Amino acid sequence: MISSRKIWIMIMVLCFVPIIISGCKDKESNVEADTGGKEKRGNDELFKLGEEPLEITMFGNYDWYTMPPWGEDVATKWIKENKKVDITAIDGGGNAAQRLSTMIASNDLPDFIWLDKGTDVERLRKGGALVPLDPYLDKYTNLQEWFGESGINMLRSEDGKLYQYPNWYNAKPFGNAGYVVNKGIYEELGSPPLETTEDLYNYLKQVKENYPNITPFETDVEGQGINVLYSAFAENQSPANIRINAVPEGDKLTSIFTNEEYVESLQYASKLYREGLITQDALTQDRDMVTEKVSSGRVAVYASASPTDLARPGHYNLQEEDSDDGYFMVWPIAKAGLNKDNIYPGAYDMMGWNVSVITKSAEDPEAVFAFLDWLTGPEGQSVLIFGPEGKYWDGFDEEGYPQFTEKYVSDPEGAGKIEEDTLNFQWNGNSNFLDTAKAKFTETLPQEDRNWTTHWQNEITWKTQYDATAYLGIDPLPETTEGQIQQSVGEIAEVARAEALNAKSDEEVIKILEEAEKSAQSVGYADLLAYKTKEWQKNLETLGK
Amino acid sequence: MRAESMHRRQFKGNQRLVTRYFRQFDLQMMVIPGLLFIFIFNYILMYGVLMAFQDYNIFEGMAGSEWVGFKHFERFFEDPRFLEIMRNTIVLSVLKILICFPAPIILALMLNEVRHMMFKRAVQTITYLPHFLSWVIVAGFATSILATDNGSLNMALEKINLIDKPINFLSIPEYFWTIIISTNLWKSIGFASIVYLAAVAGVDQQLYEAASLDGASKWKQIFLITIPSIMPVIVIFFILEIGNLLNAGFEDLLLLGSNPVLREVSDVIDTYVYRVGISDGLYSYAAAIGLFKAVISVGLLTLANQLARKSGNSLW
Repeated sequence: MISSRKIWIMIMVLCFVPIIISGCKDKESNVEADTGGKEKRGNDELFKLGEEPLEITMFGNYDWYTMPPWGEDVATKWIKENKKVDITAIDGGGNAAQRLSTMIASNDLPDFIWLDKGTDVERLRKGGALVPLDPYLDKYTNLQEWFGESGINMLRSEDGKLYQYPNWYNAKPFGNAGYVVNKGIYEELGSPPLETTEDLYNYLKQVKENYPNITPFETDVEGQGINVLYSAFAENQSPANIRINAVPEGDKLTSIFTNEEYVESLQYASKLYREGLITQDALTQDRDMVTEKVSSGRVAVYASASPTDLARPGHYNLQEEDSDDGYFMVWPIAKAGLNKDNIYPGAYDMMGWNVSVITKSAEDPEAVFAFLDWLTGPEGQSVLIFGPEGKYWDGFDEEGYPQFTEKYVSDPEGAGKIEEDTLNFQWNGNSNFLDTAKAKFTETLPQEDRNWTTHWQNEITWKTQYDATAYLGIDPLPETTEGQIQQSVGEIAEVARAEALNAKSDEEVIKILEEAEKSAQSVGYADLLAYKTKEWQKNLETLGK
Repeated sequence: MRAESMHRRQFKGNQRLVTRYFRQFDLQMMVIPGLLFIFIFNYILMYGVLMAFQDYNIFEGMAGSEWVGFKHFERFFEDPRFLEIMRNTIVLSVLKILICFPAPIILALMLNEVRHMMFKRAVQTITYLPHFLSWVIVAGFATSILATDNGSLNMALEKINLIDKPINFLSIPEYFWTIIISTNLWKSIGFASIVYLAAVAGVDQQLYEAASLDGASKWKQIFLITIPSIMPVIVIFFILEIGNLLNAGFEDLLLLGSNPVLREVSDVIDTYVYRVGISDGLYSYAAAIGLFKAVISVGLLTLANQLARKSGNSLW
């Protein structure tokens, strides 16, 4: 009896000891990381990729992001073998914000983080977690060369230093916002003119009468197409105004709720919605429902922030059944009397999409920068998007763009697969370089061989996107008083827009917006607008406009 | 004299407690990890609520953050939408208690009377399966069934000529609570009834035999034997449900109430915290609202327990 009890106690003690020991250990390993290895090389010495192995850790701050294994596709395999770079990712496990918070709190950040510009970057910077990139700019010059000085200045933080490496930055207009029209239906209805808002309304009515099962005007998720319609009523403005909840007037940003053009556009949208011309699921449908409608050709006109994403596969899909069918784009709709060349259904900014920041946990931040800078340069971009040199491209032409081989034309699937496989490695895509390279190549092709999207980008969308770079970073941080106001105003605007769409009459739309203006003013909208105006003016100055 | 003997008895008692503890030390060793676990993960972390009284800075940690008193509580109470959010939270919870709470009990009682075993098993399996679907999937079903363009419900109603124009179910505030409650009911009824079925199965069969000998009808047996026998289980679950009053749902509301028009009926504390607190990284604000919720929940739980104590079925 007693001996069996002793055995039990022994077992329990043996179970406890390792737990206690492992709980007390560790601590020492993390301390050095903060200061380690900063003065590795002198000012003129460069870090040469491929000479010594480089191991980098990264974190993508998006719930949807999982980095594919590095070196398993042809492009990264080449980089791993020839440049001796190996990258491992810390996975967010579907809850990136929480993972990042944990890493910050435990002082265990990866070498670089790939994330949205704005709040998170500012928090990390203010917390002293980021490495300023300025010392490296002159040593590794791809960013300066392709992004330019004014772009870099726009990205600089309050303290005048640069912390962020941009992704898909571009100096030229880009973007796909606009109107896509179903060709088959359009031609069956006698190809009426589609230039003014009146034309559009009449056409949609005609569609509804003749095709009861077709959605006349599809607006994509969250009613994006309704924002596109705003552009039809305002010259030299863009739907970016709706995102920032302000409209520029002179050198001030003013209330969007009292803006005549915005009110008019909502009245128009509300009329279409009331008469069943806009999809009644505009604010509730998910992406799958839109995809289904567009790919089966059950929409007559389709407007969104990037309609080409769905319209391109839809176009080829419809063409398979009938080579005369398909989708095409029209020049942006304008209210009668407005100049159609001043209508911008979408906006872009030079900064592109998101950024990478290098953290102080990086053992050799300069090496990480050297890698990012190589990746955004001609060689890095060509390898990442077109594969290792020799198969789909061979050498650069005199202007420095890749020379495509026969194989690139004859094997579009193989070439497309490379770009698809590296989609989640495109941390600092160089739109300027890639768009020019692709456009140069497209020019050599006959019309029917051109990619549907590329064709319409060249014809319409790239000419009709608004440069909204000056509106970047004008939002206050959420924990500030202005941030609190912005949060409230944002909700008021969101609800007002939805209610206006559901309004029973034009008068009701006016009333809803007047009501919204009143609530917004009562939470301090004027202060918010003053703040945004100040930041906007600062941007204009930086951009030299 | 008497006091002295009591004192001695108590002392002896204490001594006995200690010796008893050490005599069963091997057993206590097995309890300690559990206690430690609860202490570490449920009690130590509670210092985190202090964050609600700070402007928490994630880089500085608790020690380096500034104390701001009740600032975050005031911000929440002064928010123009506060009353609306509280109303929605309470209404949705009360509706859930009124409808989703008794439903599985009724289902369990009904299933208990089914004599055909295959049918009973089939119904049980089918009703509890939805519990294992995530809200994303359930909301996906609901959205496409209730859609205006080619939604099956609208198509069915049109076919039988009940309506001549599709109804935009998910954009009309008046319908929203019904949709939320019915999807919740569909999702939870089967799984919740398992507990009650088990309780019903534990009722002494002799009671039924005796009752039927005395001439009690099926209804009488249900009301006089089954329900009173499973009453303790019902009461305990009810108390817990009351403690959950401020948890009116989260994913379901977020996914089905995506249209901003519905916000006046769909916004509850949790969805508000998600939008304002977590998405924007306002940890202190989120913590303050969480603490507010917890305090009210503990109050409600105590209240419900006190009421239940009168019926003799209290939790503690």
